[in-house]
Amino acid sequence: MTALLFLLFGGLALGCAISMVAQRNPLYSAISLIGVFIALACLYLTLAAPFIAAVQVIVYAGAIMVLVVFVIMLLNVEEEARRPLRMRYLVPAAIALAAVLVAEASFILFYVQTNPATPSTPLNTDVGLTSQIGSGLFTRYLLPFEITSILLLMAIVGAMSLARRGQLLSPEARVIPGSQVLPMDVVDPRRVGDATEVETDTTAEAAQLMGYGNVLRKQDEEDEV
Amino acid sequence: METITQVVLQLVAITIAFTVVLMIVAYTVLAERRVLGFIQGRLGPNRVGPFGLMQPFADLLKFILKEEIVPDKSTKFVYFLAPMIAIITALMPMIVYPFGPSINLPFIGNISLVIARFDVALLYVLGITSVGVYGIALAGWASNSKYSLMGGLRSAAQLISYELSLGLSLIGVILVSGTLDLYSIVEQQGGYWFYVIPRWNIFPQVIGFIIYLISAIAETNRVPFDLPEAETELVAGFHTEYSALKFALFFMAEYVNMFTVSMLATTLFLGGWQGPGVSSFPILGVFYFLIKVFFFLFLYIWLRGTLPRFRFDQLMNFGWKFLLPVAILNIFLTATVVFIGTIYGWW
Repeated sequence: MTALLFLLFGGLALGCAISMVAQRNPLYSAISLIGVFIALACLYLTLAAPFIAAVQVIVYAGAIMVLVVFVIMLLNVEEEARRPLRMRYLVPAAIALAAVLVAEASFILFYVQTNPATPSTPLNTDVGLTSQIGSGLFTRYLLPFEITSILLLMAIVGAMSLARRGQLLSPEARVIPGSQVLPMDVVDPRRVGDATEVETDTTAEAAQLMGYGNVLRKQDEEDEV
Repeated sequence: METITQVVLQLVAITIAFTVVLMIVAYTVLAERRVLGFIQGRLGPNRVGPFGLMQPFADLLKFILKEEIVPDKSTKFVYFLAPMIAIITALMPMIVYPFGPSINLPFIGNISLVIARFDVALLYVLGITSVGVYGIALAGWASNSKYSLMGGLRSAAQLISYELSLGLSLIGVILVSGTLDLYSIVEQQGGYWFYVIPRWNIFPQVIGFIIYLISAIAETNRVPFDLPEAETELVAGFHTEYSALKFALFFMAEYVNMFTVSMLATTLFLGGWQGPGVSSFPILGVFYFLIKVFFFLFLYIWLRGTLPRFRFDQLMNFGWKFLLPVAILNIFLTATVVFIGTIYGWW
C-alpha cells in the first residue's frame, strides 16, 4: 500500500516538476510547482511526518505560491518565446551532472538496498508528531529557532524599507476621491528641494498654483484638438 | 484483505458524508432565499413543491441544462481548472470533522462518526483552506476580463489577509486543549463548570471566538465582506465569465465553505456534539452538532439580510490593523494564563 502511494505521489511530483521547467507560460509553471509541493506533502504523510506535510501545504502551497501567482497575475506576463541557446557549454555539463545523478540513484538501488542497515534501536514513530516537534523546537533547538525568527524578521523589515524608499507621495499626502493633494516632487521631480504641499480640487489647478499650469493647459488643448 | 475492506468502508463513509453535506448545502441555499425574503418583507421561492422544497433540484436542473459559454480569449485549461479547485478544496476538509460520538448500530456494530482521525486535523483544515484561494484567483485571471481580474485579485488579497487572523484565533483553542485532534478537542469540552455552564471553549476563548467568526465570514466571501463579487462595481467579480455548471460549482463551493467554517466553529468553540444526555444516547450528539451548525448558518443569512458592504480599504485596515493585533494579544494572554495555571496546578 505504502509502495503504491509512494509510486503515485513520487510520479506526480516528478511529472509536475518536469512540467514546471518545460512550460512556457509562467502561470502554468506556477501551477505545476503547486502540484510538486502538494505531492511532496503527501510523500511526507506516508513517511509518518504529518506536521511537516501540513506545514508544507500551508506555507509553500498556500502562502508563497499565492504571492507568486499574484505577481504573475498583476504583471500579466506573456508567454516567453523560444530563444536560441546562448551558453552552449552548459549542455555537456548538464549531461555529465545527470549521469552522476543516475549513477548515484542506481548505486542506492542496487547496493544500499540489498544491504539494509538494521537500526540498532527500534524506530521511534512519534518523531513526526506536532507535540514532539514543538517541544524539540522550544527546548533543545531553541537557539537555531530564535535565530531563524530574527532572520525572517530582518527580511520583513528589509522588504518594507526597500518598498517604501522610492515613494512618490509624501507620508502626509492622501488621495481622496474628488480632491487631490499633490506634493511638489510629483509634479516636478527636478525641484525636490522645495517640498511645499498644495491642496486643490484638480491636478490642473495644483499644477497652475505651482507655476506649471500653462504646460498642462497646452496639453489639454492639444488633446482636445 | 483487511486493508482493502478498510479502504472500501472509508470510501463508503466519505460518499455518505459528501452526499449528506451537499444536500444540506442545497437546502441552505433555499433557506437563505426564504429567510432573506422574510427579512425583506416578501415571500421568496415557494412555488416548486410544498413550501418550495423542491427548488434546489429545479435550480440544479437549470444549471445543468443552461448553455455553456466559454470566453474566446480565456486561458482554457486554467479556466476549467479553477472551479474544480474551488469545489474540491471546499469538500476535502469534511473528512476530519467529528459529526458525533461513536454510536452502536444494530447489525453493523460500533461505528465512529468521524471519517479520519489524525494528529494534525486542524492544520489539515487550514492547509486545504489556504489552497482554496487558487480557485478564485485563477478563475479571475483565466477569464481574461477586467471585472473578473479585479474580483480575483481582491479576493486573493482578502483571503490571504484574513487567513492570518483566522489561523491565529484558533491557536488559543489549541493552547487550552493541548491537541490538534478535533475529536479529542470535542471530548475535552464535555461536562460543566459549576454544574451549569457547559465546558465549551467559547467561554475561556471569547476573544478568539469573535475573531474567528469575523475572519470566517471574510474567508467565505460573505456579506459584509463580499467585495470579490460586489455586484454594484464588479458585475459578479471572479465568476462573471462563468456560466451553467461551472458557475454552479463556484456557488456550491461558497456554501460548502460556509458549512465547513460553521462546523469548525461548532467543533472548536461550541463543544461539537456535546450536550445533555449524549453519554446515554450517543445518537443525540449528531442532532446537537447539526443544531449548532445550523445556528451559524442562520447567523450568516441574518447578517446578509441586515448589513451593508465594507469598502476595500476599510476591509484591509480592519483585518491588518485591528483583527491581527487582537488575535496576537489573545494568544499572548491565553499562553500566560495556561503557563501560570500549569505551574500552580489548577489548569
